[in-house]
Amino acid sequence: MPVWQRVYEEINDPNFVLICAAQDTGGEAVAGPIFDAANPTYVQVVDQDHVISSAFNFVNVPSAAWIDESGRIVRIDEGTYSQVHRIGEGDAAFEFGTDVYTPALKDWVKKGADSVHVQSASTVAANMRAHTFDQQKADAAFRLGNLFRAHGQADKADRYWALARELNPDSVNFIRQDLTLSEEGSAGETFQKMMGEYVSQGRDYYRPLDIEAD
Amino acid sequence: MADAMMAWPELRNPFDARPLHADGETTVLYQGRSVTLAETASGDGLLVRTEDLPRINGFEVKPEGACLGDMCVPLRDGLLVNRDGRDWLDLLAFADALQQPWVGDTQARVWSFAEIPAHRQNTLQDAMVPDIEVTDRAGNVVRFADLKGKKALIVTWSSW
Repeated sequence: MPVWQRVYEEINDPNFVLICAAQDTGGEAVAGPIFDAANPTYVQVVDQDHVISSAFNFVNVPSAAWIDESGRIVRIDEGTYSQVHRIGEGDAAFEFGTDVYTPALKDWVKKGADSVHVQSASTVAANMRAHTFDQQKADAAFRLGNLFRAHGQADKADRYWALARELNPDSVNFIRQDLTLSEEGSAGETFQKMMGEYVSQGRDYYRPLDIEAD
Repeated sequence: MADAMMAWPELRNPFDARPLHADGETTVLYQGRSVTLAETASGDGLLVRTEDLPRINGFEVKPEGACLGDMCVPLRDGLLVNRDGRDWLDLLAFADALQQPWVGDTQARVWSFAEIPAHRQNTLQDAMVPDIEVTDRAGNVVRFADLKGKKALIVTWSSW
């Protein structure tokens, strides 16, 4: 989150709004301290029910949408990293993210519709994932599970989260949120195995980032 | 890798067991909101007072039906029920009429409703920002449709 604050300050445009939405089901208790550590001046939302992801049909984090002045979505559903992040040392070191997204964002804020990074409505519509009846029902089940979890009723939470995963197996968000409560955590063996299968089946959890490096 | 990816693990599950609502009450979830209903009626569906409908999903019962903006749903038999001289709306049948998915826990008396598909067409077909609202950490309601006139980046993240 500090990196998005830096980007927001670098853009420094009164006609640019940055909304960062935390999807932790733990809500403010989990996301609040992380937000606060970044001393953010952008709009901060704790969206434990994934209302925003559901509205845009995102299946993973971090994802984003660019909205122009007319309310049109001009980019959507890409791995939204402000920079490359490097974690760990030696053999355990790994990195994730990209350094091309932030320059593209800045270009759009500066040039608007003249930016090469603006996508047509048809491209955006094509990049938006279809949402079946069952997938939408999964959203309802997920929120029911969240309510039970928030009231300390773990067994019922698990039941409805399992239903959500069954109804929408494409949602990496549902699986990862559930795994946060497991011993191995959200990035452990289960997650790695699931992601391996996910990719090998030709499924994607972000649309391709077709941004060239400068 | 797992440890490195999990910030603040001590904050994963900060919740204590507590009731969803008082005895006899019903909870309805929709668009990130949780509405507690003091009164519902027994029946095959979920019968709610028509005057509760606006705070549940924004619809309002009018002579032509239950309406929200340009959308009006005629209240055919089975949707509107008169019981003991009072009007009740079967919220589950109403959702079905809108092709709106829902999941309910009858024992706990809580029902969760997904987005109404008709509300999504503008986004899915014309790539317009969804007309949803969220509340920020400062308590301000942020309605995405009201962002017009400015550029906006809406980013989701998590601590997972």
